[in-house]
Formats: sequence, structure tokens, C-alpha cells
Amino acid sequence: MTKLHLVRRTGNTLLRRIICYLAAIAISMGIGAILLLSLGINPLDYYSDMLTVGLIGNKYAYKSVEGFLKVFVPLLMVSMALALSFKMRFWNIGGEGEFLIGAMCAAAIAYRCDGMPGPVVLILMCLAAMISSGLVGLAVAFLKCRFNTNETLVTLMMNYIVLYAVKYIGETKAPWNFFLREDSERPLFAKFPDNAIMPGIMIGRFNLLYSVVISVILTVIIYIYLKYTKQGYEIAVVGDSINTARYAGMKVNGIILRTMFISAALIGLAGAFSASASATVSPSMTNNAGWTGIVVAWLSKLSIPGILVAAFLISLLQYGCLAASLSYPEIDQNFADLMQGMILFAVLMSDFLVTFKIVRRKETES
Amino acid sequence: MIDPIELMTLFLFSIIVYSIPLLYGTVGEIMVEKSGSLNLGVEGTMAVGAVIGYIVGCRADSIVAAMAVAFAMAALVGALFAFLTVTLQANQNVTGLTITTFGVAVYFFIGNALGNKWPQFQDSPGFAEGFSVIRIPFLSDIPVIGKVLFSHNIMVYMAVAIAILCWFYLNRTVPGLRLRAIGENPAAADSLGVKVALNKYIHIMVGSGIMGLGGLYMGLNMGGTFEGSNCWINGYGWIAIALVIFVNWSPAMAVAGTFVFGFFNTLRMYNGALASTFPEVLGWLDDIPAQFFSALPFIITLLVLIIDSLRKNKRSGQPKAIGLNYYREDR
Repeated sequence: MTKLHLVRRTGNTLLRRIICYLAAIAISMGIGAILLLSLGINPLDYYSDMLTVGLIGNKYAYKSVEGFLKVFVPLLMVSMALALSFKMRFWNIGGEGEFLIGAMCAAAIAYRCDGMPGPVVLILMCLAAMISSGLVGLAVAFLKCRFNTNETLVTLMMNYIVLYAVKYIGETKAPWNFFLREDSERPLFAKFPDNAIMPGIMIGRFNLLYSVVISVILTVIIYIYLKYTKQGYEIAVVGDSINTARYAGMKVNGIILRTMFISAALIGLAGAFSASASATVSPSMTNNAGWTGIVVAWLSKLSIPGILVAAFLISLLQYGCLAASLSYPEIDQNFADLMQGMILFAVLMSDFLVTFKIVRRKETES
Repeated sequence: MIDPIELMTLFLFSIIVYSIPLLYGTVGEIMVEKSGSLNLGVEGTMAVGAVIGYIVGCRADSIVAAMAVAFAMAALVGALFAFLTVTLQANQNVTGLTITTFGVAVYFFIGNALGNKWPQFQDSPGFAEGFSVIRIPFLSDIPVIGKVLFSHNIMVYMAVAIAILCWFYLNRTVPGLRLRAIGENPAAADSLGVKVALNKYIHIMVGSGIMGLGGLYMGLNMGGTFEGSNCWINGYGWIAIALVIFVNWSPAMAVAGTFVFGFFNTLRMYNGALASTFPEVLGWLDDIPAQFFSALPFIITLLVLIIDSLRKNKRSGQPKAIGLNYYREDR
């Protein structure tokens, strides 16, 4: 009698993984093509529109790149920050909330520090965002370490509490509310004063924002931090086995607290960057980066180079669908979510083929 | 000026109406979580069940068909979750979140694809008839209470019946006991010969199916009109996940718990009317922002979570192995 049996694969699986993932993406795009055909749309035309994000034959191509970066940079930063905590198997799914906290605190500085020199205001905004958001992360980590509170559920609840708080600020006209425009009857978030808007380096007509440059530098720093520093190593050990870390004399709680602070602070910084780049805030400004970041971090197996690739591809998908929806009104941006879901399902299935091997085993009757 | 008694009746009636989708979602999620799986895909599962169930219901002109399809499609989404997390050992949080993104996107995709061919609820008399109010004889004649509790459509009564059935199943039957054992300690259950994977599959699928019914109810409650901007489920799936914690993983408590959350939700819509009708007693309601009522379920759940862990609650109904995948050879 033969029986199918699962065995974990050992050894280097990188090449196998890349092939499997490419196949997963191809299958998802195939299903997507069938869906597009069912709507009477030529999938080749649609996909080429999507993948070129309206760059070709566009007089304002630099605008497309700027728009793409506005999706890509927050997603990249959030994914990396989440990967830090996921590496410890600490399920911080509060990216949305932490992002908004950072953005709102940055906005408070922006509105209140009118008239101060630009660089000072921008640095203050970033610091405020990182500290406020980091403290929230610290609080969650403290509850986990001290009382073993389920961090997944705590951060999940937190996302919605923060979201409604932001909506409250954005929808309430009151004398204390300095976040809103004074000249408008309807409640609207005010535009930041000029000194709080992210400056950039002009390359031709293309404006390369400093936030983009900083996020690239941060990517390198986080990569080195995780790979070559003692603290990065500690994170990996805690994630592998808390008991091993304890036997090795590591202060596990300290590591968790420190890493969660960094993780949340980075997400807060992403919020501040995003607010400063778009010169205002709104409840929907996260663009779901907090949720998508979880998927990106996981897709890339928490590796920083992997995150760079996955965040790029997912942003391309999201921004590409937005660009393509100009010429295909019957398909809105939700098609990107649909594709994203299918790609992730396919990748999770192919993950299985990467980590496990199905062996046929002869069972000897005894 | 509204008659105070009429307003109170309407208010209490609305609490029930808006609680029911939460009850379906919560009971469904309890079934899933009791098997040790944390499914964050409630929102998406409800959306898929709702949109496909609704369309088939309109085509077949029958509420039974709508409910059967809503249940089946949501169970299929549950099967996908089970396949990925139980068989393929994928991470539960990531899979659940993706199911939410995917399910809501399916809702929008189908809605946009149908465009003006979207079926209208009024055009299917049999379907509408099936969803109309069933007045329970005698009981519904009682003033106020009769209208509030005993004049609802079939899906309201069914939700309560399903909740009680699930409570009985989990606490008073052998399969229910086995299921709870899997949620607490799958390795121990496995060693006693309980089929862990099979049980997880069944309960994730049944639980998801129940969520799908809740989605269908929400859609019907909104008159079945597709809106391009807002999904029918509109965050109720997330509140259901919060409720599971609030009611301590008990389907019987869920009946009471959903009415508490439904109360806040309804208060958000009625606070103006209540404040102007009873200015002396409830005038202060006007000062509370609507967003606070929206956030209240999450604030309460957060507090419950923290207080529960502070007290090191031994009798907490949270399954010990929740969120962890079970792979036999990792023991």
C-alpha cells in the first residue's frame, strides 16, 4: 500500500522559490485575463496599460513616476517595519493605525509651527510621528510581555479606534480644531503651510522628494541592522525560539519592547512622509498600506531585498490599475485587490511546494 | 414631532435589525476560532456570500436558494482558508487578511461587471415575499415588545436559532467537545485519535457558511442595491471579530453581546431623534460624536482584552492554540 506523505525540504530553495513565484503570478494573471475577457476587454491591452502605468506616449510621464512613488514609498517602509516585528513572531497588524497616528502628529506640528524654518519643521514632524507611533507600539509590546495580551487582536482593535478618531477630527468643526480649513463651511483638512511640505531635488521636471531618498537609505540601514548587528541577530533568535534566547542570556522582553518601538516608529515616519508629501491628511491616506504591508512582508519571507521587489510589484499593480482605469471605466481599482488576492493565494500554494516535498512511501504491513 | 413610544419601539426594533448580521458573523467566527483558527477574513467571506447569494436569489426568485447559495459560497471561501492554513500550513493572519481584500474585491468586481444588469430586489416577488416580516401569532400583538421582538423576517429568527444550536453543539455534544479539544491542544486531541484536519475543515467551512448568511442579510437589509463606493458589509466583519472576544467565545453570550454592540450602532443613527424627543433625559446624546459610537465596539473589546489578560482569566473561552497551525511532525 502506498501512502502520500509530507516531508520538509532542506537546503537552498531560492531558485525553486523564484520559479514557483513566477508561475504563481503567471497563473493569477491568466485567471485575471479570463475575467477581463468575460467583460469583453482585451487582456493584452489592459495588462500593457497597467504595467506601463501610463508612462508611454505620455507628455507628463514624470507625473506618473511621482504618483507611483507616492504608493510605493509608504508601502515599502510599512512592509519593512512590519517585517521587523514579524521576525520575532510578534503579530503587529496595527500598521494602519500607527501610520495614521504618525501622520496626525506630524500634521499637528505642521499646522502649529507655521513660520518656523522649513528643515526644523520637517524634522520636528518626523520626530513627533516616530515618538507618538513608537510609544503606541511600545504599549502593545508591554501588554504582551507583561500580561501576555494577544497582540494581533489588540493592534486590530487599535486600527479602528485610531481611524474613527481621525474621522472625528476631520468631520468636526470646532474652535479647538486647528486641523481644519477656516475658510470652508464644510469640514475639510487644511493644506499644510509651505514650510511643512516635503521638498525635493529637481531632476528636469521630475521632483525627487527627500522622503524617497531617505526611505532608500533606511532600506539599506534596516538590511544591515537585521543582517550584521547584534540587535538584528537577537531579533532572529527570539523569533526562532524564545527559550533559546533566554538560555543564551538575552533579555527577551527588552528585545521585544525595543523592536516594537522601532517597528511602530518607522510606520509613523512613513505616515509623516506621506502627509508631508501630499501636504495634507485624510482618513484614507494610508491607501491600505498597513494591510498590504502585511501581505508584502509575508510574500517576501521577511527578507529586505524580497520586500523591495514585492512592494515594487504590488505598487505597480495598484498604481497600474488606477492608471488603466482611465481608459477602462468599467474596471475600477478593486481589480487590483482581486489580482492581489489571487496572486497571494497562488504564492501561498506554491510556498507549500517550496517548503514541503510530497513523497510516496510504501507502508509495510506489520 | 414623533410619538415617544413609537420612537422607542422603532429604536429597539432597529437594534435587533442591525444586530443580526453581527450575530451571524460572530457565531460563524466562534465556530472557526474554536477549531484553533483565527480567520481575519470574516468581512470578505460575508461579502462573497452576500453578493452571489443575492444574485442567485433574484434569478431563482427564492430566498431559500439565496440562503443556500450564500452559505455554500461562503463555505467555499472557508474551504480555501482551510486548504491554505490547514493543508498547506500558510500563515493564518496573512491568509485571512487576503480573503478580506479578495472577497470585497469580488463583490465590487461582480457589481461593476453587471452594471445596469444588476438585479433589483423588487423585481423578484417571491424573493421579497420570503424576506418579508413574519409576525408570530399572539406574541406579536403585545404592545412594543411584539413589534420589537416578534415581527421580523425569517433570517432574524434563524440567526438566534443558529446561535443556540451552535452553543448546544459546542457545549453539550461529543463532536463539540472534540472540536474544543482541537482548539485547545491539537497534539493531544490527535493522540487520542481525533481527526484534527478533517474537523478543522468541517468547522471552518460551516462557520464561514454562517458568516455568508449574515452577509446576505445585510445586503437584503439595504434593499439589495449595489453601491460602487461602499461594500454592503461595511466593517461589520471586523466588529464580529471584536465581538467574539467580547462574548468570550460563547454563541449563547453572542446573542446578548450583539445586542449591546447593535445598541451602540443604532444609537449613532438615532441620537439626534432621541435627544430631541426626550430633551431632559437624553439631551446629552446630541453632544456625543457619531464617530465615538462607531469606535465604541472596538474600544470596549480592547478593554475586555486587556482586563482579561490582567486578571489572568483562567476561565477565558479563548482557545489556547488559536492562530497556530498544527503540523504533526513538528511536535
